[in-house]
Amino acid sequence: MKILLALIKKEIKQILRDPSSIIIAFVLPFISIMIYMYGINLDSVKITMGVKNDDNSPEVATLVKSFGHSKYINSINYDNMEDIKTAVLRSKIKGAVVIPNDFSTKLSRGEKADLLVITDGSETNTANYVQSYAITIANQWLSSSKFSRKIKRPVITAESRTWYNPDLNSHYFIVPGSIAITMTLIGILLTSLVVAREWERGTMEALLSTSVKPIHIVLGKYIPYFVLGMMSMAFNVFLCVGIFKIPFRGNYFILFVVSGLFLFTSLGIGLTVSSKLKNQFLSSMVAMSLGFMPALMLSGLMYPINSMPEFFQHLTRIIPPRYYVSFIESEFMAGTIPEIVIANAIFLTILGCLLFIAVYMNTSTRLDGNK
Amino acid sequence: MQTVTIKNLTKKFGSTVAIDNLSLNIEKGKITGLIGADGAGKTTLLRTIIGLLLPSEGEIDVLGFNPETQKNELNQHIGYMPQKFGLYEDLTVIENLNLYADLKQVPHDFEKMLEFTSLAPFQDRLAGALSGGMKQKLGLACTLLGNPEFLLLDEPSVGVDPISRRDLMKMVRNMISPETTVLWSTAYLDEAHSFDTAVVLDKGKVIYEGKPHDLAPTPQEFENKVIDLMGGYNKEESLIAKNYDYKAPDVELTVEADNLEKRYGSFYAVKNNTFKIKKGEIFGLLGPNGAGKSTSFKMMCGLAKPTSGTARIMGTDIIKHPAKARSNLGYMAQKFSLYGSLTVRQNLDFFALVYGISILKRKEKVDEIIEVFGLKEYEKCPAEELPLGLKQRLSMAAALIHNPPVLFLDEPTSGVDVLTRRDFWNHITSLAKKGVTILVTTHFMDEAEFCDRISLFYKGQTVAIGTPEELKQKAGANDMETAFINLIKESEVDK
Repeated sequence: MKILLALIKKEIKQILRDPSSIIIAFVLPFISIMIYMYGINLDSVKITMGVKNDDNSPEVATLVKSFGHSKYINSINYDNMEDIKTAVLRSKIKGAVVIPNDFSTKLSRGEKADLLVITDGSETNTANYVQSYAITIANQWLSSSKFSRKIKRPVITAESRTWYNPDLNSHYFIVPGSIAITMTLIGILLTSLVVAREWERGTMEALLSTSVKPIHIVLGKYIPYFVLGMMSMAFNVFLCVGIFKIPFRGNYFILFVVSGLFLFTSLGIGLTVSSKLKNQFLSSMVAMSLGFMPALMLSGLMYPINSMPEFFQHLTRIIPPRYYVSFIESEFMAGTIPEIVIANAIFLTILGCLLFIAVYMNTSTRLDGNK
Repeated sequence: MQTVTIKNLTKKFGSTVAIDNLSLNIEKGKITGLIGADGAGKTTLLRTIIGLLLPSEGEIDVLGFNPETQKNELNQHIGYMPQKFGLYEDLTVIENLNLYADLKQVPHDFEKMLEFTSLAPFQDRLAGALSGGMKQKLGLACTLLGNPEFLLLDEPSVGVDPISRRDLMKMVRNMISPETTVLWSTAYLDEAHSFDTAVVLDKGKVIYEGKPHDLAPTPQEFENKVIDLMGGYNKEESLIAKNYDYKAPDVELTVEADNLEKRYGSFYAVKNNTFKIKKGEIFGLLGPNGAGKSTSFKMMCGLAKPTSGTARIMGTDIIKHPAKARSNLGYMAQKFSLYGSLTVRQNLDFFALVYGISILKRKEKVDEIIEVFGLKEYEKCPAEELPLGLKQRLSMAAALIHNPPVLFLDEPTSGVDVLTRRDFWNHITSLAKKGVTILVTTHFMDEAEFCDRISLFYKGQTVAIGTPEELKQKAGANDMETAFINLIKESEVDK
């Protein structure tokens, strides 16, 4: 016990003297939340698109106007196709609407009228917006125009209502999700260095020649970095809820317990890599690609898991951030849902314990890796 | 009484045999010196004795414990100082002591220890900010905590000046009880000569075991005898010097330091350092750790900017025309500064390229240098896997590839075994005979005797300058080491 305390005390002093660990724990979360808050936006934005009207009737002129009046669109009028091509090519407009010359004639006869919507397939997300904006505006115009009587109204109309996030503000789930990213970084990046550093500087050899047991070394690393990680977690939550006013509908106690479990798994990844490789540069690289990249790509934060290829869907099951992201998004936006909390907590505990065993197994008491 | 009994020990790393069927007893209460060339198996033997490595075959008994199965029990009775001392550089002196006292579960009673190491005034200094000698003392202090019955020191005096070396020896002798057994691995044969027993290792085998005085009465003869045991050194004509394409310069004073000064805030790392070196002279820069030798060196090669003053290489001012001055210079840094992952040949190819040797001549030149430096066997070996002595030889080869008329060597023989050192100095003296000017630093006082002139450096200033004979006379000493210590002490009194 005294040995363990001495090792923890030593580690804390090293953390306090090393500005890089403080930067990773407190400055990095701040920067990352700023980026997620202001830099990344998955919501609709104002889009510039072209309009070419070949129909000279006064009714259709009002359709052109309503493109101009929309708050989601910046419209530019074109007279010929060549100009539209050049404008799309130069990215001046993201797409265009072409109204054919028989548009109003067909409508007044009650026939089906075509509207050409051109989108830029190199940016699929924007292309979708162009398409849906154009259709929405055209439909709105249609229902208020004099042609509306001639068109059969659909039998069913869908009235949509979004739960948990009525404004469909993507910040509300991305920013809490970013906590998962920062927690992964702290857990993995800091700890991937610390065991390797002891090997590189020769202090491990000196430690191993005393009565220190592997369990002391393992806990001597886990405990201080767990405390640091939880402090950073609290700082993250404060930034999210206190400063950026992200609504939190869950329970703080549950949030911290599950976050603690997640940190436990992250520390496990970093320490396993570090004790196995014994080289700071190599282990930080491996830890980043083994821990950080999957947290970003495969956790379901950026890309929904059920739209991934089947193999990757199965792969996400062994990635701790998957469980944490699923938990934290629902905890923030929907409040505590016992099923979600318990299921995710169980998986995190299992992964964390397996990783702890891996760290213990890789902590040798001899220089050539033997127990 | 035996502290260690080893029977038929073999230790292999893959297919390499590090320890080869070795049997050895180490007597209780004695200081045993472990001597051997680089790669002879000294460190492996120490590590196997305390259970940090497992033997491939054979039996070991240490203080009645089997290190294979009872490592933890054994560790409570020993003190081991690894080559890198095992200090936490981001902890202070006292924090390091506290940590090791807690790990060894002994009381925090450091008064005597701090007094002996004279580290008391530096208690709150970070270990990383200590000089080499002080780090060693602190490492030893941490090792001595809890009065271990068996003390194992792995080359504690590498790269340490003679004064610190004497202090270290005094510290060990004063701090241990008569029952304590010490196993001390060293490259200094004068040190080994003063021990109770000497064990000479070669290629993983014991080639001599017994009292050093039985082998030879004086340290100098002891060194010769040990060299004979290791297969002997045949002084041959230096091929390096023979093949050296030396172009006689038109200046007589090839290296000049003119009032060199380096100041950090109010602290002078180097203060009005002035000397002139003649063509073909070997000029030694001697002084304790942290005296400012390396700083002077770096300023003279244009790697550090002097606060004031300047240096001239072959008459060219290093500050005004650094590139031109440096083209006349071969520099071998204290730390191994070649590319570890490149092979011997790739390293030399690279240096040939940066020194501007034309593509057409490069292969021929590199072939020649590999041949002359005896690196043919290791041509395809990555530089980091070479034994220390060969690394130093490769560094020298890289420094000499462009046939510079001036050569700067910063502790070229630090951590190198006695055979390699002899070989090295054979090349250095032969090169000087051909007319190459050599500026060298060293901590080996026997090497200082090979210098034509010496500048003794202390606390950033020149304390004495002259031939080895003149310095010995001035200090009233018979050997260089005593002269060194006396002159440093005198300058201390003068202040």
